[in-house]
Amino acid sequence: MIKYKILIIEDEKRIREELNEYLENVGYETATVIDFSRILTIVKEVSPDLILLDLNLPYIDGYTIHREIKKLSDIPIIMVTSRDTEMDELMSMSLGADDFITKPYNLQILMARIEAVLKRVYSSERDNFLSYHGMKLNVASGTIEYQSKEQILTKNELKILYFLIKHKGSIVSREQMMEYLWSADLFVDDNTLSVNITRLRKKLEQLGISNLIETRRGMGYILP
Amino acid sequence: MNFYTFFREKFTYLFFNLVLALLFAVIFWKMTVHIGIMILFYLFWFGPLLLYYILSYIKKKNYYQNIVRFQAQLDQKYLLPELLVRPSFLEGQIIYDTIADTYKQMHEHVNVYKREQIAYREYIEAWVHEIKTPLAATRITLQNQGMDAGVFDELDKIEQYIEQVLYFARSSDVSQDYIIRAFPIQEVVNKVAKRNARSFIYQKIRLEMNELHEIVYSDVKWVEFILNQIVGNALKYSKSNQGVIKIYTIKRDNQIQLHIEDNGIGIPEKDLFRVFNKGFTGENGRKYSQSTGMGLYLCNRLAEKLNLGISINSKKNVGTNVQLIFPQSKVLLIES
Repeated sequence: MIKYKILIIEDEKRIREELNEYLENVGYETATVIDFSRILTIVKEVSPDLILLDLNLPYIDGYTIHREIKKLSDIPIIMVTSRDTEMDELMSMSLGADDFITKPYNLQILMARIEAVLKRVYSSERDNFLSYHGMKLNVASGTIEYQSKEQILTKNELKILYFLIKHKGSIVSREQMMEYLWSADLFVDDNTLSVNITRLRKKLEQLGISNLIETRRGMGYILP
Repeated sequence: MNFYTFFREKFTYLFFNLVLALLFAVIFWKMTVHIGIMILFYLFWFGPLLLYYILSYIKKKNYYQNIVRFQAQLDQKYLLPELLVRPSFLEGQIIYDTIADTYKQMHEHVNVYKREQIAYREYIEAWVHEIKTPLAATRITLQNQGMDAGVFDELDKIEQYIEQVLYFARSSDVSQDYIIRAFPIQEVVNKVAKRNARSFIYQKIRLEMNELHEIVYSDVKWVEFILNQIVGNALKYSKSNQGVIKIYTIKRDNQIQLHIEDNGIGIPEKDLFRVFNKGFTGENGRKYSQSTGMGLYLCNRLAEKLNLGISINSKKNVGTNVQLIFPQSKVLLIES
């Protein structure tokens, strides 16, 4: 899987550094702008896949930067701001921002936004597939393939499997799983999650993969 | 002012004149003055007098009747001086000048407070935006250090209180910063659901919601704030593990009702009609603490400004149902 590169344009030092660390931890390549008089040159040098742009910057305001970047390239931009009126949002979107998020953002939501924008802009054949131990998950069509057999997944099941594969090798708690589902507009409760996991296991078994999703009592699930 | 009241006021003077005229008549009669001269004399006396009264009556009648009429018609009575024209007679001019001056002074006086209120509101807005940056930094730092959920819950609360301050400032009369546009109600409901995701998940409260297809006209941000307060309350007063919050819409002739229903502790009947009052916490607020009595008060205030209806039904130990009513006729929205 390719690593997307995200450029963080943010003047608040701590936010910049911590966000940088966080994005690296979840598996993105990152770059930051420190010298705000050279934003455009840096954008050219780094050539990121996505830009997180704070609207409130020294030297030039975010809207101008945004306009200049859009002249140069089609790099998707998510605007970040602490101004939160409808007016600010409309203004950003009408300028062609790909998304808009207000501080203090919930990181869960920020991640969902980043993923959504990247998927929308770069959805290529390659990204639509995740594979795990010979099993192929087709995100676009919502199916899993294993040894030339196929199963259709529901939206919930697809998201659950996607999240588990993304976090393969580490335990995912039920709460984390639910938070992820909620961030994707799937408002499931505890019971529904159990039901979905059971169904997902059944479908995997029908493909001939058994015991793929392990339960760790009191902790959550894991794909080993 | 009419003819009768006008002349009644002049009665003493006229009466005095009449008595005097009578006295003269007696004197003239004693002096055997010719009747023609007497008539001429009285004509010169009373002619101009009556003519003056009649002319001034006509002039003043127009002016004062206008004042009375304007005053009756005006919604904001203090605007009267704006409608008046400076009259041509002295007495009216004096009154007009005095009123105009008072009005101007009052206007300046009110403006001082208006400016102060605007400055205060702007400061609150600026402050709220400023504090968001350190809050965002705190959040990410803690996330990177793998803090436990409790800290984030507290951060969520801080943010909610800050947001309340912001919307309180925005709900004041001088503020006009909302934008009415059409938006799908689902959009806002989803946002609010996501904002409260952690509470739903960790308290194991179920969210029951069908697809909401309705389009409503309002300000998205304000509605989001109102809805967030209502859902926040529903969560606060729900029982963990068995709580269910239902969100659904009902379409009526010229309105769409958004219902938020919980099966929580409910509100005692004696408190129900006061929940929208400022600072009212009631029995539940005292029991469950952390109630400032500002949430619903603000909801009501903002809803009023947006021309939305808000009402609440509840039964103790059964649950609470809050409905937000969006009027559907566009005329209503443009009004006010």
